[in-house]
Amino acid sequence: MTDQGRTTPQTRIPAKLHRRVCLIQTEDAVLAEELLARAKLAQEIVGRLTDCVLLIRPGRVEAVVQELRKMGHTPSVINGH
Amino acid sequence: MPIFDANFWSERCRQVFHRYAESLLRQVAAQLYRQRNRWPLEELLVRCVDTFSNPAVIDRRLADLDPAPRKVLALIGRSRRPMWQMGQLLEMLSALGNAEGPRPVFALLEHGLLLPDSSPEGPTRKSFDQWLGSAATSGLRVFAHPNVTARALNQELGLPHLSPAIEEVTHIHEADGLDWLLRLAAVWQMIAGAPLRQTQGGALFKRDQDRLRNDPLLSSPLADSPGQLPDVPLLAVRWAVQESILEENEAELSAGDLPPAWNSGLDPALESLWIALLQVDRWSPQTGGLEASYSADPYPTAYLLALLLLANLGESEWVHPAVVEQWILEHHPYWSTDDPNPASQSADADRASRAAALLSSRGARGLLAPFLLGLAHALRLVQIAMDLQGEWVIRLTQFGRRLLGFTAAGDGAPNSPKTLLVQPNLEIIAYRQGLTPKLIAALSRFAAWKSIGSACTLQLQPDTAYRALETGWTFESILQTLDQYGMRPAPASVIESLRTWANKRERLNIYASGALFEFAAPEDLDEAVSRGLAGIRLSPRLLLVKSEDQIDFRHFRLTGTRDYSLPPDQCVEVGTDGVTLTIDPARSDLLLETELRRFAEFVDRPGPNGHRQYRLTPSSLAAGRTGGLGLHALETWFQQRTGRPLTAAARLLLTGSLEEPLPLRQELVLQVSRPEVADGLLQLPATREMIQGRLGPTALVIGPEQVEPLRERLRELGLDLQR
Repeated sequence: MTDQGRTTPQTRIPAKLHRRVCLIQTEDAVLAEELLARAKLAQEIVGRLTDCVLLIRPGRVEAVVQELRKMGHTPSVINGH
Repeated sequence: MPIFDANFWSERCRQVFHRYAESLLRQVAAQLYRQRNRWPLEELLVRCVDTFSNPAVIDRRLADLDPAPRKVLALIGRSRRPMWQMGQLLEMLSALGNAEGPRPVFALLEHGLLLPDSSPEGPTRKSFDQWLGSAATSGLRVFAHPNVTARALNQELGLPHLSPAIEEVTHIHEADGLDWLLRLAAVWQMIAGAPLRQTQGGALFKRDQDRLRNDPLLSSPLADSPGQLPDVPLLAVRWAVQESILEENEAELSAGDLPPAWNSGLDPALESLWIALLQVDRWSPQTGGLEASYSADPYPTAYLLALLLLANLGESEWVHPAVVEQWILEHHPYWSTDDPNPASQSADADRASRAAALLSSRGARGLLAPFLLGLAHALRLVQIAMDLQGEWVIRLTQFGRRLLGFTAAGDGAPNSPKTLLVQPNLEIIAYRQGLTPKLIAALSRFAAWKSIGSACTLQLQPDTAYRALETGWTFESILQTLDQYGMRPAPASVIESLRTWANKRERLNIYASGALFEFAAPEDLDEAVSRGLAGIRLSPRLLLVKSEDQIDFRHFRLTGTRDYSLPPDQCVEVGTDGVTLTIDPARSDLLLETELRRFAEFVDRPGPNGHRQYRLTPSSLAAGRTGGLGLHALETWFQQRTGRPLTAAARLLLTGSLEEPLPLRQELVLQVSRPEVADGLLQLPATREMIQGRLGPTALVIGPEQVEPLRERLRELGLDLQR
């Protein structure tokens, strides 16, 4: 449903901002399933936002990277600010 | 620190001057640029710093000085290292025959040509005596602006022309200067894989010492150098720390980055190594590794003096290392006598005999021979040759003369020769004659060194390729390097392996600290993108932005903000029934509903204000219990998310099955008119034993079987029982 009056170029867009979020984005859903099936990794994943995006427990990025490497993956880690 | 970045040192000078008290700054400025007007403090500071960019003024100030202070500046300039311990400068001055103590250094401080090293947040300096007293534990370090020391290079140091100088030699050899670059690159790779652990005192744990000593790359002898060094692996580590190739924190040494100077050619790379060598601690060319550093280390000053002595020789003249050592032992205050009259002839004779005795006691290794024939040779500072008796002799190289400022800088780096051979088995052979520091740095980033020799070998491996990809290299840039320096194109199998490793990396992205926009409707997300918000669409309402710096917040009205580096926020309201949980959307986070689904059921119908709701039920809590959720965890969750303890209803739902069976029985209530009557019935022995309990001030509980006996007792008391 579209709402012509929702936003105009002059109005601000309402949004909620989640800062310093830790996420894994996989190439496809099958890879996401593979990660969720790994017990040690599943402990660090708190949710699945989409088929290919998993939410990581805050502060556990390093542990996740280590476990992924043990699985033979080479994740690209993107550090934002 | 940047070696000769004039802007860096000007800013450093400005920070130090800024810590001077006004009186001290005016005093120094009066000497430095002979101010005539009483400038405001800020203007004074600017003018002091600007003086360092004015060669004419610097020359005039140098001319005003005595020779000893000018020698200090010349020594600093020749060393290429702007910062020194004050004690080391005084040692070198003393060796040059100027034993007047700290006066020359203080003269330079008062003229503003030398500055005390201090923290920008340090205390205000009222005088140099104050600084002298306050720096006892951290060391008295001073520095000079490179523009100043460059103008002082003409100052004669008074070093002798060593003799005997030899002119007939054979087997002249000059190193290629790559040995220590290769070793330090190998150290960097080794530590990148596993940091070294240190004790509180800064010594390495034995296991890490053994790891270093057993490494074949680090412990291999120096190529073509007759001077062998003790504890080469440990020297490599300490040297790497000073080069910032390794980073030192409290408990460990971890990998830093390879120096930018290595990309600028061999001369800048070796200059960078030389300056770092002057700061190496916990290692001595005599004994190898040391448990701790010590402030009276004489070797940096001995190294510099030794090279300056060699610079005094003619370009075709050679000298035995022992002659250099002899002079150092006789004149360097660390080894020479503390004779009160060092200039006397008898003192000269004493020093000479003591020096000779010390040299002979050191045996074949000598005092400085490991440096001259080992380190200095490997760094391409000295050439080695043999005299007619087959003894080693040395002279300064052209690079050594350039380094010490006796000749002009050389030409730029030569064109890149083809020097790599990439094998199908992922091994790379790197022929040493074509290697440059820049190529060594590049290879170190994506391949592992296996051997160092006239033909070095490296291995391409998934972990090394991955490390390169992590630091900004791409499949294309790795391949370009191999092609640029390769004698022939890389084999197809190698290209395929690199491509596979690079592609694997693209399969998984981890955003360690992203910003996620959650929009109320997909149209809002579209609008945000059309206004320039760049990000990755995760869903119709979720957009991931890699960095908050990319966000123009003027376009957004934030309905809520959540920072995931902080503890969870209170964002759930508990209903009066104790089991209905209403989400506050402004304060909730992405984790909340995942948590709720573990032990609560989603309520289809939204609650007040349209907010989403969940409800605790026996089945949902049973599912939570099955999944490992216990009472303590739920209590913690309630406290974090709702700000109140677990409700009684929720506790009952969770633990009800663990309660003992609840007894249900029939009881009669005897209602009396006044509390005193109930008190009396409870007190009288005849009636007390028939009463089971008290429900209130005037209500007593009795069992059905006690009705008739109680009626009799009450009749005796004159009371009637009505039913």
